[in-house]
Amino acid sequence: MALPQFQAAPQFEEYVNATDLSAAVAALADGQGTPVAGGTDLWVQKELPGAVAGDRLVNIKNVPELKGIAAADGRIRIGALVTMTEILGDGRLKDAAPILAIAADRFASVQIRNAATIGGNVANASPAADMMPPLLCADAAVELAREEGGAISTREVTLSEFFTGPGRSVRESNELVAAVIVPIQPGRYAGFCKSGPRPALEIARVSMAITGEAAGGKLTNPRIAFGAVAPTPIRCTQTEALIDGKPLDDELIARALETMDGEISPIADHRASEWYRRHLARTYLEQELRHVRDG
Amino acid sequence: MDPIEKKEIVGSRVTKLDAPEKVAGRVRYVNDMTLPRMLYAKVLRTDRVHANILSIDTSKAKALPGVHAVITAADTPKFGIGVLKDNPPLKGDKVRCIRDEIAAVAADTEEICDAALRLIEVEYEDLPTVFETVDALAEGAPVIHEDRPDNIAMLHEFKAGDLEAGEAQAVHIFEDEYDVHYVTHCNMGASCCLADVDTDGRVTLYSQTQYPFIMKMDIAPSLGIHPGDLRIIQPPVGGAFGAKLDVYPNEPICVLLAMETRRPVKLLYSREEEFIVSPTRQPVEFKIRSGMTAEGKLTFRDVDSRLNNGGYTSWGATTPYVSMRTGTSHYKVDNVSYRARAVYTNNPFAGSFRGYGNVQATWALETHMDQMAEIVDQDPVAFRLLNSNEQGDVTPQGAKLNNIDLKGCITTAAEESDFLKKWQANLGQWDSPERFKRGIGIASSLHNAGGAKIHKSDGCGTMLKMDDYGRVTVITGASEIGQGIDTVIAQIMSEELGIPMRDVTLVMNDTATGPWDVGVHASRTTYIAGKSAQRAARKAREQILAAASRQSNVSPDELDLRGGHVVQMKDGEPVMPLDRLLRQMHFAGEDAELVMVSDYYEPPSEPEDENRYGDMSASYSHAAHVAEVVVDTMTGEVKVEQIWSAQDVGKVVNPVGLEGQIEGGIAVGIGYALSEELQLKDGIVQNPFFRDYHVMTAPEMPPIHMTWLETNDEEGPLGAKGAAELPTIVIAPAIGNAVYNATGVRFNHPPLTPEKIARGIWERKQQMRAAAE
Ligand SMILES: Cc1cc2nc3c(=O)[nH]c(=O)nc-3n(C[C@H](O)[C@H](O)[C@H](O)COP(=O)(O)OP(=O)(O)OC[C@H]3O[C@@H](n4cnc5c(N)ncnc54)[C@H](O)[C@@H]3O)c2cc1C
Repeated sequence: MALPQFQAAPQFEEYVNATDLSAAVAALADGQGTPVAGGTDLWVQKELPGAVAGDRLVNIKNVPELKGIAAADGRIRIGALVTMTEILGDGRLKDAAPILAIAADRFASVQIRNAATIGGNVANASPAADMMPPLLCADAAVELAREEGGAISTREVTLSEFFTGPGRSVRESNELVAAVIVPIQPGRYAGFCKSGPRPALEIARVSMAITGEAAGGKLTNPRIAFGAVAPTPIRCTQTEALIDGKPLDDELIARALETMDGEISPIADHRASEWYRRHLARTYLEQELRHVRDG
Repeated sequence: MDPIEKKEIVGSRVTKLDAPEKVAGRVRYVNDMTLPRMLYAKVLRTDRVHANILSIDTSKAKALPGVHAVITAADTPKFGIGVLKDNPPLKGDKVRCIRDEIAAVAADTEEICDAALRLIEVEYEDLPTVFETVDALAEGAPVIHEDRPDNIAMLHEFKAGDLEAGEAQAVHIFEDEYDVHYVTHCNMGASCCLADVDTDGRVTLYSQTQYPFIMKMDIAPSLGIHPGDLRIIQPPVGGAFGAKLDVYPNEPICVLLAMETRRPVKLLYSREEEFIVSPTRQPVEFKIRSGMTAEGKLTFRDVDSRLNNGGYTSWGATTPYVSMRTGTSHYKVDNVSYRARAVYTNNPFAGSFRGYGNVQATWALETHMDQMAEIVDQDPVAFRLLNSNEQGDVTPQGAKLNNIDLKGCITTAAEESDFLKKWQANLGQWDSPERFKRGIGIASSLHNAGGAKIHKSDGCGTMLKMDDYGRVTVITGASEIGQGIDTVIAQIMSEELGIPMRDVTLVMNDTATGPWDVGVHASRTTYIAGKSAQRAARKAREQILAAASRQSNVSPDELDLRGGHVVQMKDGEPVMPLDRLLRQMHFAGEDAELVMVSDYYEPPSEPEDENRYGDMSASYSHAAHVAEVVVDTMTGEVKVEQIWSAQDVGKVVNPVGLEGQIEGGIAVGIGYALSEELQLKDGIVQNPFFRDYHVMTAPEMPPIHMTWLETNDEEGPLGAKGAAELPTIVIAPAIGNAVYNATGVRFNHPPLTPEKIARGIWERKQQMRAAAE
């Protein structure tokens, strides 16, 4: 019997207010730190394992290196502390990866968007995190930072290799998500679908993002990614390969739906049955592929 | 001085008195209160749904520094609370549902309370469990309460006319089942109380209760206090809506801890506790069987229902007092039978909730009525009008339907929404390839609108005094819990005494000062407290005008009170300022008098007799709602686009307050229809957080077009009727019927979640495909 806990928020023994990146990674170095950014996941955390790494609460909100959106080497670096509201308002991002703004617009409510950070959305590693299918479609990579021999050391992991399970990722307990990096890919078709009986404040039963070069009823170099239909956010690479650059006739769409159905593995829980999650996934993919075809 | 015209206050748009303070965030709720030396309390709850308690060891918790008291059933008086007194505030021998209270701690801080709770050790012996009413009624089912071996907590039965004769007259007989679900109030202010005991053993309880005077008699004796020594103060409340209409374990526990520690003790629920511990709306499984003539006239109706009572009996089990009236009396049917059995299970238990039993019954009946109309090939409006009650009808249970206008409500809602044209057009769209489909649905309801005599009294008292400056102080028994009775009373004073509303001071929400009142429930407060206030104001007015008449030699009938003056009735010519008159009355030597009056109003309603017959409310009312929806037939998502509400309100006292009641009521009703559900698995709440329990939010609220029918109630204050519950009651089946009109799929069991709708539509398509092959 899964018994809901009465305790409202995690308890901590120690608090560190990090004001630069070295202080932040130092506070995490022994693997006993729990970063907090917007707090919109952490303070209401109930069921995901591993959310609370250690007894030391590390406030990263005041770390300048984690802030801001900047272009470099043909890519855009989105600092971990960038909020959904900032993503929505950023002109360069809108050109480079329009799918991000489209999805951020469907994210929670204005109040939550003002607080929720992209780093938190990634680090939390929820299979239902809304920004993951769009970031997967944008070929995003995650920049991780940690302390090594008294200095800051960073590594980059592609997002498709980042997640390992619900609430779990390749991020070590002494690492911070420093940024999310996306290549500049202007002019791609971008579609985002998210379920929910309410427009506001919904945890997706299924979400889907799709991008590609749309022309003449075809989608070339496509990306199709789903949230909440597998233990991690996933890309449907077989489905992508199947439709890549081919005319999206009814028959191909039907085959794409079947292929996608084989790539996802949704669970049944109190939010939705497996049948409904599959039904939604098919509905969204069919809707978008027809949309691409019919223009 | 210029003549003073009469100012109509009643009926005009008046800002709720508490609105500015609430908007500014200045209101101090019970939850915000602290007292010097106050301790915090928390409750240890069981993680079992049915088990014998073998032992409770609190010794480690007691030894924790900062802990002042740990109490269990063993250290406290034995008594039960709730409607059947079957719920001991602290459980000593057995637990029956998930939230059961085992022990309570009072400590210096909430954190110490939490730590102490973790140190309490409880040993259990699990017992067989039962969650469904059918299973609990079966032979050999686990027994929840030893003194009720059949698991039936309460039985309600009524019969009138001749069911067999009704069946014989029927050309069409139709039967279906409607299961309505668990929802909870989601009050923004979590449950909270604060108890303080003085050196002489007198207790002050700061409480969110909706019925302070009854609560005194309910709990004081069990706690070993004289009811006269229990004073209940109700600071501003962050929502109640029926959730605070019974005594629940938190309040006696809080008092017991205060008595034990001799310090003020505050007990506040977390949001999760609020979801799991506070009562739910009563879930019901209805079976309705009814018959009609070839023309569609109802000939009989037979309703059988089972109420999942959960582990204990609170007001949920009594909701048939209202649902039965809908089952037997909404629309004209002479031959009726109604049975409701409240059945113990190991689920959480239900209390009262705005719309009290009628939300459930109206869902079932109005869905059923739509299905019946289709059988005789009539539109939903014509069929309802054909069977409508009329002015002067006496229902099978003895309700006298005077000053009603059901047909007016139905036709108004239908006409305003252009119902028939839309309804007809949508029917042709069921099998069209369009993904998004429109639907429109109608429903109506009957509710008590002049209180409900479920206690020996349904009365309310008022005391009124005027000072030397023309200011009025009204001491009323009524409780202001956000519904706006303070504003209504101030309006009535202003209207009757010709003074500005801001010159009225209200003293209320305190049993030490206020005279008796039954409490906030049954849409009764404006009707009954308003009436008592009006009668008190009229007594004061009479006294003032008599004095004015003596001074001016004008007959009292020719005088009026306007704009702070005594004036000539006919032309408003000022005679004298009111404040001067009051001073002259006061400082008049031997003839001195103060304006100081009182009134106690007991409405002319009667309790039901043992055969469930009686004119239980002083007034009745109807409403009809039309909902227009768009259904995404693939995802099953429903958007409510527009709502038309036509409600008989007797007379509008404050349009602003009425709009608020209707909008708020509808928001609760939409949630009931579409998204809210407390999900249970083996008796355990699966979604005790707003993340997974979906109340309506502002962006989802559709525009609401309201029409008020003013039938002018003969008894109500200035013609008004109770209005607060109908909006919640009617909207859900209107939405359900609209979804049917859009899709051709009938959903009998709310909430109509996207998944349910998508599945229903998908299954219909599969069937059609199979039939076509
Ligand atoms: C009402 C409400 C609605 C919501 N709606 C949505 C929605 O529509 N879609 C959606 O996807 N989510 C939603 N969420 C979840 C949440 O808002 C998002 O996941 C958000 O992006 C989390 O960001 P944060 O900064 O608030 O994270 P925090 O709560 O601060 O942190 C989340 C987790 O990540 C860790 N963490 C944070 N930043 C870092 C970092 N830089 N490096 C390493 N670890 C880090 C924390 O330790 C914690 O475990 C909602 C939450 C609420 C309360």
